[in-house]
Amino acid sequence: MPIIIWTIQLILIPALSPLGIGLIKNMKAKLQNRQGASIFQPYRDIWKLLHKDEVVSVDASWIFRCAPYIVFGITIVVGASIPLFSSLGQGIISSDMLLVIYTLATGTFFLALAGIDTGSAFGGFGSSREMTISALAEGGFIFSLLTLALTRGTTNLFGISAIPMSLYDQSFLPTLLAFLGFFIVLLAETARFPFDNPATHLELTMIHEAMILEYSGKKLALMEWASANKLLIFTALGANLFFPFALAQSSMMGVVLIGIFAFIFKILVFYAAIAVLESSISKFRFFRLPDLLLISFIFNIIAIGLLNYL
Amino acid sequence: MMNEKIQQYIPKNTKAELHGNAAVFEVSASEIATVVGDLRNHSHLALKLITATDERKDRGCFKIWYILGVPKENVFIVPFIVLKNTNEFPSIVSVVHEAFEYEKKIRTFFGLTPTDHPDGRPTILHENWPVDVFPLRKDFIWNARPELAHGAYQFEEVKGDGIYEIPVGPIHAGIIEPGHFRFSVAGERIVLLEPRLGFVHKGTEKLFETLSLVEKVRLSEKVSGDSSFSHSLAFCQALEKLGNIVVPKRALYLRVLYAELERLANHFGDIGAIMIDTGFNFGGSHGARLREMIMRIHEGLTGSRFLRGVNVLGGVTKDIGDREKNTLSGNLAKIAKDFSEIIEIAENSVTLLNRLKETGTLSCEIAQDRGVMGVVGKAVGISSDARIDYPYAVYDEALIGEVAIEHDGDVRARFLVRVKEVHASVGIIQNMLRRLPEGPVHASISDISFEKNSFAVSIVEGWRGEIVYFIATDKDGNISRVVPRDPSCVNWPVIGDAGFDNVVPDFPLINKSFNMSYSGNDL
Repeated sequence: MPIIIWTIQLILIPALSPLGIGLIKNMKAKLQNRQGASIFQPYRDIWKLLHKDEVVSVDASWIFRCAPYIVFGITIVVGASIPLFSSLGQGIISSDMLLVIYTLATGTFFLALAGIDTGSAFGGFGSSREMTISALAEGGFIFSLLTLALTRGTTNLFGISAIPMSLYDQSFLPTLLAFLGFFIVLLAETARFPFDNPATHLELTMIHEAMILEYSGKKLALMEWASANKLLIFTALGANLFFPFALAQSSMMGVVLIGIFAFIFKILVFYAAIAVLESSISKFRFFRLPDLLLISFIFNIIAIGLLNYL
Repeated sequence: MMNEKIQQYIPKNTKAELHGNAAVFEVSASEIATVVGDLRNHSHLALKLITATDERKDRGCFKIWYILGVPKENVFIVPFIVLKNTNEFPSIVSVVHEAFEYEKKIRTFFGLTPTDHPDGRPTILHENWPVDVFPLRKDFIWNARPELAHGAYQFEEVKGDGIYEIPVGPIHAGIIEPGHFRFSVAGERIVLLEPRLGFVHKGTEKLFETLSLVEKVRLSEKVSGDSSFSHSLAFCQALEKLGNIVVPKRALYLRVLYAELERLANHFGDIGAIMIDTGFNFGGSHGARLREMIMRIHEGLTGSRFLRGVNVLGGVTKDIGDREKNTLSGNLAKIAKDFSEIIEIAENSVTLLNRLKETGTLSCEIAQDRGVMGVVGKAVGISSDARIDYPYAVYDEALIGEVAIEHDGDVRARFLVRVKEVHASVGIIQNMLRRLPEGPVHASISDISFEKNSFAVSIVEGWRGEIVYFIATDKDGNISRVVPRDPSCVNWPVIGDAGFDNVVPDFPLINKSFNMSYSGNDL
């Protein structure tokens, strides 16, 4: 892979992810009759937090101190290993489907550990809820990507995104089902409605926010940035694996530019869907969330089942 | 006529003194439990308040007052006991469960011990307050600082496998008042929820004894900021009874109008806040918008967003002109239409309905036992509303209709009671605007003198529920005791019952649907 594409791959996720958060917040505000903050506000927030001192509990161990770097680092590595605007990366070992899924799971693992590390009650139930959700989401996540891997004949994500999908393809219906399953997982893994309310101030209802409640200053900036990255990573996976069009197949300047614009367009559609969703429905009651994740799993099982008959 | 009505509630061979619409009579300490128990449980009177007065200077005794109301008749039956040479009085908790919090409060603030009371812990005052200093006794020096004590507060403890405690507060993430909640949970299910309040105790009852009359009225507006008008209305009404002041008709109409505007603002705010706590942002932002519109109407009419400085002895300070009348009527019609549309959308949202239904269910039995009132009481089907049961101002002419009740006792029921009350309030305001009589808006008072050695009880249906004021005067006609009772004091203790067996993430929603005042409880 040309060095230029690889460099763009590496910085695109962290560079664009705060903008994504800003966009969702702004769209939500507009949908709710509010003015809303500038779409660049998340950059300012991260900048502000990076210049602040931090308070670390005396009971915190090395896990609490290291977790932000691990969690943030993982989103950078995964961000560079998935197709964003080109399919030119099939040589990268870390872009294997299972490797990506479990690298992300490692990030969640450390996040949950950091939540319980200080012994605060909020962090404790935040981590407990996160593990409940992510354990149930894992099945849906694997099987939705597995459907794609089976239809495309490769587990390399760049490979999957390189094969264009057509409406008349026999694999269209399974892919659509797998996408529905994936979208539910996306909402669960990125702490959006109806699983979690990223805008709430009520500690008792939080999942993701409860885990990072003890963080402040620079480490909080990293945690916030990492969760923005994670949202962009999941949307990129949804956009490029299930709707693989306009991805650059060569490193020519024009093609790459088209790829980047197409990427941004697809992301915008996803973010608009999330903003509409978060303005029009309520959060689900906690014990109804497993049902939703089970639905995601069933969609994917049906998708794989269908493949056998094709 | 009045005497006949009252006589049936008074034990034989007892002579009752009549103070306005309150019949006051002494009962011996050994009989008080039977008398109050009979009145509440058999004659179905409503217990309004139990409180004490320190009359050691004049008569060498403490008195404990039990104030019961006769619904629909607008009279109060007030038995009292006299404590001479003793600091103990019999607890009536075993007969009247409602007395629980009142008796605890008397012990904490007067140092009088209710014998056989099941809970020996202090209430409201912090553990840093010395246990042998009783702030509502007359010999307590209110402007000196007592020494810092280092007591401890024992929370109730649940033992067992997998039970863990979540301490929440007193400082919360939102801009709300402080209060501590101790959850004992098994997984996500709440096994025990114990609120611990008192963090905004500011000595209101003592201040009422020291401030000047004008300042007392201003103080009553600050008992609970969001009920400024209702609290000052209840206080002024009690004073007007004691001073035999006749309030002009136009002022009475305006009082009803302002009181209903206050209810509208707060119900809009609550309805929006309930929706926002479920994450239903559409409804949430519109609730906040409608509340703000009413607050601006308040400011336009009276110069105060919270209707402060409006109530005075003998009437109100702000009149409404003809132009304002028409704009208000037009604006209200628009607001009511908007509100109906929003509620229609909310009612059609399955996800919202799913969160509200069967969340935080309070059983009717517990509610009746604890004397729960206001929105929370109406949501379990307790049909009690001071505007109908004890009509004040011109509510007997306001055509309120039925009390807005629901039966399920869950968050949705409390939500719907508020929705119904909003519609009723808009109707009342329009009615008041149509029928507003001409005339002055306050009585001209040159010299106020209150009845000597007398009492007055006044009830106002604030937006949370009944606000009760009990005022006593001494032998010179000076106000010697003012007891404000916000509905929050009565409704707070049942939040634990409503929260029981719900999941922890639903608690903020339950709490919001109760929306009780911390300040009004802590005084």
